[in-house]
Amino acid sequence: MLLEATGIIMQFGAFRAVNGANLTVTEGGITGLIGPNGAGKSTFFNCVAGDLVPTAGTIRFKGQDVTRATPEQHARLGMARTFQVPVTFEDMTVAENVMVGAFLRHGHRHAARRAADEILGFCGLDTLAGSRAGSLGTPGRKRLEIARALATEPQLLLLDEALAGLTPAEVRLAIDLVRKIQRRGITIVIVEHIMEVILSLTGHAVVFHQGQVIAEGPPRQVVDDPGVIAAYLGGSMKRVRTPTP
Amino acid sequence: MNINRIATILGLLVIALWPLLVHDVFYQRVGALVLLAAISASAWNLIGGYGGQVSVGHVVYFGAGAYASLIVFTRWGWPPLAGAPIGVAVSLALAALVGTPTFRLRGHYFSMATIAAAELVRILASNWEVTGAAVGLMGPPVPRDIWDFSFTSPVPYHYLFLAVLLALLWLTWLMQRSRMGFYLAAIRGGDRAARSLGVPVLRYKLYALLLSAGFTSLAGTLYAVMVGFVDPESGLGILLSVKMVIIAALGGAGTLFGPLVGAVILVPLEEATNAIFGGGGTGITFIVYGAIILFVARFQPGGMAVIWRSLTARTQASRGKNRAA
Repeated sequence: MLLEATGIIMQFGAFRAVNGANLTVTEGGITGLIGPNGAGKSTFFNCVAGDLVPTAGTIRFKGQDVTRATPEQHARLGMARTFQVPVTFEDMTVAENVMVGAFLRHGHRHAARRAADEILGFCGLDTLAGSRAGSLGTPGRKRLEIARALATEPQLLLLDEALAGLTPAEVRLAIDLVRKIQRRGITIVIVEHIMEVILSLTGHAVVFHQGQVIAEGPPRQVVDDPGVIAAYLGGSMKRVRTPTP
Repeated sequence: MNINRIATILGLLVIALWPLLVHDVFYQRVGALVLLAAISASAWNLIGGYGGQVSVGHVVYFGAGAYASLIVFTRWGWPPLAGAPIGVAVSLALAALVGTPTFRLRGHYFSMATIAAAELVRILASNWEVTGAAVGLMGPPVPRDIWDFSFTSPVPYHYLFLAVLLALLWLTWLMQRSRMGFYLAAIRGGDRAARSLGVPVLRYKLYALLLSAGFTSLAGTLYAVMVGFVDPESGLGILLSVKMVIIAALGGAGTLFGPLVGAVILVPLEEATNAIFGGGGTGITFIVYGAIILFVARFQPGGMAVIWRSLTARTQASRGKNRAA
């Protein structure tokens, strides 16, 4: 078991954003976290990534308890993440951005640069290596975030809406990249809104609703679950079940 | 050879030969003061520019260096330069003490906390007999031997300061290219993203502050050695902290030569206003600082470095055009 989160509760004042959610991730797959807005996916995700310390529950990564570990300890252990809104180091070049990640495993500048170059090539950013990162548009920034996270040489990559805000063509390119990352042997957890992405990409989908996991399993099966449809559409199942030719 | 390299070499050459180019002692003295200001601003630049943590309390480290050198003289009769390691040690301890809690604050709150810490130290020094209280401390009235490093000519100071400045710039250059330089740039770009990439943010801020504080303290010692006098205003006054920030911002914070360029502009300007409007014209100095803050904040937050970059980009572009024609 690569990642095991059990009984996660996250309380903000009187509001309980995550209410006893569980998640198990086995090595090698792509797990999708889905759910309507405000379902608690992102909060749960931030607990797993170490940005938030949950009010209750435990998170184990590679058998180690990381519930209270800092984000930098998570990175060191081999868990990397991207942000919903990309945080680009705008004054640095694209290659330098990736080198920041590479410096985690490579102490020397030349070694970090070599590692970064390999990642840039892998992500299709090699032609932009020398450009100022601030000059990139949204798709470039999202791709750069992934590259930077990969440069820390993770075993588990957490993608927070890495495909949101992209055009359909860009989404297809991004899906290809995520598949390539999986083939590299990196396990992926992805939070996503776009159903098409979840259906085509993930082997295992986990549905959040009101801070709890209401369904999980193969994505095709999950989207047909009446409870899931109700959660998404507020109960009117009929409109979804329009006759299919 | 590119235009940046030519400008750097020419500039450094003029600075190195300055005391030989001008014979007037006033101008020679201004040259030495430029270098001294460049040392403290370059030291500030390590944490304020590269680390993006705008400390407005760096005068505590400057004061520690200045006071340490004159305390070892008045107490034990040592040459003032011998106070340098003590000043550095005290500064490192102060930096760890001030930095550990204040680095948890962000932006303006961090700056305000550093001001508060510096003012606290100034008030303590104004009332402590060891630091000479409000009267201050004097250096050796006449040089006893070469180790007192006390000269009437500014030229020896010029070369002592130049050596320290070059050492500091060389270290900064090495730092900029190392993991630490990248990590500081990442911290400046965004704490949260930096941490997610495994950057131990607090630790690297502290490293930068320690390096910065050590060299600022050295600048304080050099000041005391040259001037031979320090009191709470000249050694711990808030104006000195502000000056470091302004010089670095004017030249370009977070760039290698920015603080030196800023010092080359600001110090002669300040000396000129003092000369024209009479000595002790601190009122005028404040007005000059205010004008510079306005100018930098309104027109060019990146300082002269950005202006320079756009200028050279234009000349290179026009050169390219000529070649094509």
